[in-house]
Amino acid sequence: MGFFNNDKLQAPPDDRVDGKQKVTGAALYAAEYKIDNLAYGVMVGSTIAKGTIQSIDVKQAKNAPGVIDILTHENTLIVANLKDEAKAKELELGLRIFHTNEVFSNGQPIAMVVADHLEQAQYAASLIKVTYIKAAHNTDFAGTSATEKNTGFKEDSKRGDADAWKNAPVKIEQEYTIPIEVHSPMEMHATIAMWDGNDKFTVYDKNHAVKDVQKTLAKAFGLKIENVNVRAEFIGGGFGSGLRVWPHTIAAIIAAKKLNRPVKVAITRPQMFTMVGYRPRSWQKIAIGAAADGSITGVLHEAMSNTSTYENFTEGITAISRILYDFKNLQTKYKTIALNVGTPIWMRAPGEATGAFALESAMDELAYALNMDPLELRLKNYAEKAIDTNLPWSSNFLKECYETASKKFGWEKRNAVPRSTKEGDWWVGHGMGVGTWTAWREGATARGKLDNKGNLLLQSATSDMGPGTATAMVAIAHSVLGVSKEKIKFELGNSALPNAPGQGGSETTASVGSAVNDVCEAIKKQLAAIAMESNDFKTANYDDLVFIDGKLLLKNNAAVKITYEALLQSKNLTEIDLTKSSSPGDETKKYAFNSFAVHFTEVHVHAYTGVVRVKRFVSCVDAGKIVSEKTAASQIKGAVVWGIGMALMEEQQVDDRYGRLIANDFAGYHIPVNADVPVIDVSFVNKPDPYLNPMGSKGLGEVGLIGSAAAIANAVFNATGKRIRQLPITPDKLL
Amino acid sequence: MMKSDEKELQYSSRRNFLKQSAALTAVAVIPSAIETAAHNRLDEKLAYQLEQVPVSLEINGVQKNLQVDVRTTLLDLLREELHLTGTKKGCDHGQCGACTVHVNGKRINSCLTLAVMQSGNKITTIEGLAHGDELHPMQKAFIKCDGFQCGYCTPGQIMSAVACVAEEKTANDEQIKEFMSGNLCRCGAYNGIVNAIKEVVK
Amino acid sequence: MNTFTFSKPTDIKTAQTAYKANSSSQFIAGGTNLLDLMKKEIASPSNLVDINQLALKDISTDARGISIGALALNSAVAEHPDVVKNYPLLSKALLAGASAQIRNMATISGNLLQRTRCPYFYDVTLPCNKRHPGTGCGAKDGLNRMSAIFGASENCVAVHPSDMCVALVALDAKLMVQLDGKETIIPFKDFHRLPGNTPDKDNNLVKGGLITKIFIPKNSFNTHFHYLKIRDRASYAFALVSVAVALEVEGGKIKAARIAAGGVAHKPWRLYDAEQFLMGKEATETVFMQAATIALKDAKPLAYNVFKIKLLNNGLQLALKNAMV
Repeated sequence: MGFFNNDKLQAPPDDRVDGKQKVTGAALYAAEYKIDNLAYGVMVGSTIAKGTIQSIDVKQAKNAPGVIDILTHENTLIVANLKDEAKAKELELGLRIFHTNEVFSNGQPIAMVVADHLEQAQYAASLIKVTYIKAAHNTDFAGTSATEKNTGFKEDSKRGDADAWKNAPVKIEQEYTIPIEVHSPMEMHATIAMWDGNDKFTVYDKNHAVKDVQKTLAKAFGLKIENVNVRAEFIGGGFGSGLRVWPHTIAAIIAAKKLNRPVKVAITRPQMFTMVGYRPRSWQKIAIGAAADGSITGVLHEAMSNTSTYENFTEGITAISRILYDFKNLQTKYKTIALNVGTPIWMRAPGEATGAFALESAMDELAYALNMDPLELRLKNYAEKAIDTNLPWSSNFLKECYETASKKFGWEKRNAVPRSTKEGDWWVGHGMGVGTWTAWREGATARGKLDNKGNLLLQSATSDMGPGTATAMVAIAHSVLGVSKEKIKFELGNSALPNAPGQGGSETTASVGSAVNDVCEAIKKQLAAIAMESNDFKTANYDDLVFIDGKLLLKNNAAVKITYEALLQSKNLTEIDLTKSSSPGDETKKYAFNSFAVHFTEVHVHAYTGVVRVKRFVSCVDAGKIVSEKTAASQIKGAVVWGIGMALMEEQQVDDRYGRLIANDFAGYHIPVNADVPVIDVSFVNKPDPYLNPMGSKGLGEVGLIGSAAAIANAVFNATGKRIRQLPITPDKLL
Repeated sequence: MMKSDEKELQYSSRRNFLKQSAALTAVAVIPSAIETAAHNRLDEKLAYQLEQVPVSLEINGVQKNLQVDVRTTLLDLLREELHLTGTKKGCDHGQCGACTVHVNGKRINSCLTLAVMQSGNKITTIEGLAHGDELHPMQKAFIKCDGFQCGYCTPGQIMSAVACVAEEKTANDEQIKEFMSGNLCRCGAYNGIVNAIKEVVK
Repeated sequence: MNTFTFSKPTDIKTAQTAYKANSSSQFIAGGTNLLDLMKKEIASPSNLVDINQLALKDISTDARGISIGALALNSAVAEHPDVVKNYPLLSKALLAGASAQIRNMATISGNLLQRTRCPYFYDVTLPCNKRHPGTGCGAKDGLNRMSAIFGASENCVAVHPSDMCVALVALDAKLMVQLDGKETIIPFKDFHRLPGNTPDKDNNLVKGGLITKIFIPKNSFNTHFHYLKIRDRASYAFALVSVAVALEVEGGKIKAARIAAGGVAHKPWRLYDAEQFLMGKEATETVFMQAATIALKDAKPLAYNVFKIKLLNNGLQLALKNAMV
């Protein structure tokens, strides 16, 4: 039986299951657990971008009131796998905090002060004096040619005639740049580490991949995996920054062991810009050639992005050009540039968000070059199958997205002539952008425990950095098993729970939801087996049964029914306790799975000041069947807010003279405030994907961001006639 | 600004507080006990106690007479000493609004004020907004309108929203948005936040 | 933050005595900037004198003008009926600054004593003559998009971040400063300094002196006025450029004009020549354009803030135009 086949069983739009905890302040985030005898750690960052530490003078700091210890590479407790550089690399431990005197970037964590109280640790951190042997650093992205080879992604690709674009009657060739962008979740990264004896520890840690963090930490410290417990029940945003282990977490664990005392480390907002990753800076070039009717005959998409000098971080920036349109002749190229900065990390829609800004801007430029409606151009080049893999789409409702969103927006009324619509002192412009994201699914396991009071407890080591994982899982369990939502509890964010992937790539509902579906189906089978032992249900087949409102009943005679409690009690069972794993199968070889988003926006650009205001935003998304409409809509709205930030304000600058970030805080790095955001109109096609998972859902966390910044840039062009290819579009660029 | 050598003098002497303290001579500890105490960092702990300053606050209707480090911000007092962790730290520099609380009924950023400066004042935090199990209308409205995702900025948003209504800055969407712009939300729940406020006002 | 002694006196005399007890004293009122600076080790007072108990919060109006107690909150001043009615430019400027929460904490004297937000000043590892005289100016040849276009020196290109001060300088405010029982009156335009060779000194407040009130003389600028703030996001951001304009217009002719700009200099920047030019002229867009050109004639941009010339020019024209609406 498919998910949501019966409309009566469909979960209504509903409130978040953890909403009450969040609005009352009862929800506990990593740094908020009350632990006895807790000591406070404060990280100290390097003040050069490259070189070695000659010495660290900690005398004054150590004498400051309340200071317990100062950890540096000169005095640390040795962790063998960090000491051994090759081993650390093999285990992907990143920076070998306290185990190297090498400095690779400015703001790199090099020491930690531990004191009885936070104020004491903060003050002492300011007294540490470091002597460096400086080396010449390089943070100049624009002035450096790529030295690192692309690895890990099939970003260098060719199909058809790679040079076809050059011979087209109409062509555009442009470069696009995006500065460093920073995740900036509202909760700053923090870890509380506490050891239990010599070979066992627990961390309350801000991450959204408890199983991966558990594995990495167990490897780093050479412990049995079950001896490491990672807890992250509530996460104040993450967007990718919580997908790996960062040095401050290792530092907290080392300090807790050395001092035999629980240690809490919360990094500062400026440190959030240097110690926990970011979206790399990028340069792209796109060339498109088309026939006069808009058929695209050839495309070149080149990209470069920065990485650090100690790890090669790559992302799929050109991927979108290989799949979104029917580009038969295509070449993509990608390289990284190693600079003296920290290693980037996946940030919401990694690769695609960057690539889509360039591709969707270029498509708009081509539409104007062709004197063609940008929507028509996209329809003309619609990809009937996934041309990259030559597989049919499992489902693709992109055309419905175009239809719905353009109608809602009133696209047909748009004025196609740039710089020709004005309201008062404001130029008015309309633009569109499209996004796609692979609908992933990974193996996951869920445990389900139905007790003889009719309560259902579900567990899986997945995470919720905000999208509403538990709310979606409760909706799935409710629909499959027919237990009322108030009687279902979903536990997550603990590495001791059954296996689940980290929360990234918009795959949580598809992966964990499938396991929840399967464990609920298994419970139903057991309930049915018990029921069929009774006279009422003896002659029924499984397909004759309906599971609803905590009861099992006959489909064709609803009067015949029995509650789950009664069923368990009839067998003297206190509970049914099952664990099920669920994994994708052969379908991944047969179909291409993608979510799609279409964005239309109206911007106003002030004729005197160049200030851009996004006035309207309409998005329609094909993310398969929507499991939890209210939270799903919020996710798309949030993604669009990210698009506004990306398009108009987000930029982390580096002063190349010092190799140091400048104004790395919330006063210098702007993210949108309430006043920047208009009403965002979100709709879903809401049709199930037949193959990806039992729910028919496809991921939606990333896709709402992809193409949204380009839609704004395109609207700015329509408003002003100015094409801004260097994000962000700040007022100075439009004067 | 104090010269660094002055600072050094001050702190190295503090470090040896125990051995020099007249207070401890008065309690007649024997030298070996001093050694042990020093080893266990009792000097630090005692010094810390003696350095504290008194602060009286009414927090969520409860009178608290406390001893705090003079440097402790109201935010850190709430979170680290009183374990009222509903008030959040998002930047510690007045750039995000996650730490918003009410002081004598007015919204402020608790990260930008010292606890000692607030002595004698009435503080309301997110924990003091509901009446028992009965949520404040704004809390209900945030749930209904999905005015949050991760929940981290939410207590600050709600405290700010309650004040925004009290200040009568709810004439239209534009005014609500302007007067709620001191509270950042990286999940981008701004539409839900505006709707929640309108829900309460209507 | 180093530890410090703390007192909360209830009268000015005691406050100033407490201040003198230590060579590294600071008064603290709202604390919204000072505490920020102390957390970053940019300010390290060893004695903090909390002046919030002083009776300096009153706002009173008489025939000569309005007196605003130095400790009146930014929000209280912005919402005060007399200010809204008779000095609306000040109200608008205040409401353009910071956030509702910060306006509920920050006092008006604190507002004008706030230090620059130049990122090189704020990062203690980078050179900054304002923070550490003699270390150089990081911004001058650095990322100086936010820096000054007027009155900067080799030693400092920082700008004063306040919105309120732009309105106050336009309205010819005066400050009353008290020290040792003596009161001094300082014209607002002379209060903040240009950086010159001493960028560490933001203003001319004598050490230990306490601002007690701000006085704005009665004016007729409550009809034709405009405060324009141009920034990188819609709210809660410092100005790229801001403009305060106040006009008296009679029979279509400009009888009096006050123009000041923010985000462009080390102090709130009054544009006297442009004001002079407008006197007696028709209030037309052409005249405004000419005035803006005059206003910008001494502007000297740096590598990354050339745009401020055009932005201020346009901003002036827009603010003048809006003042006439």
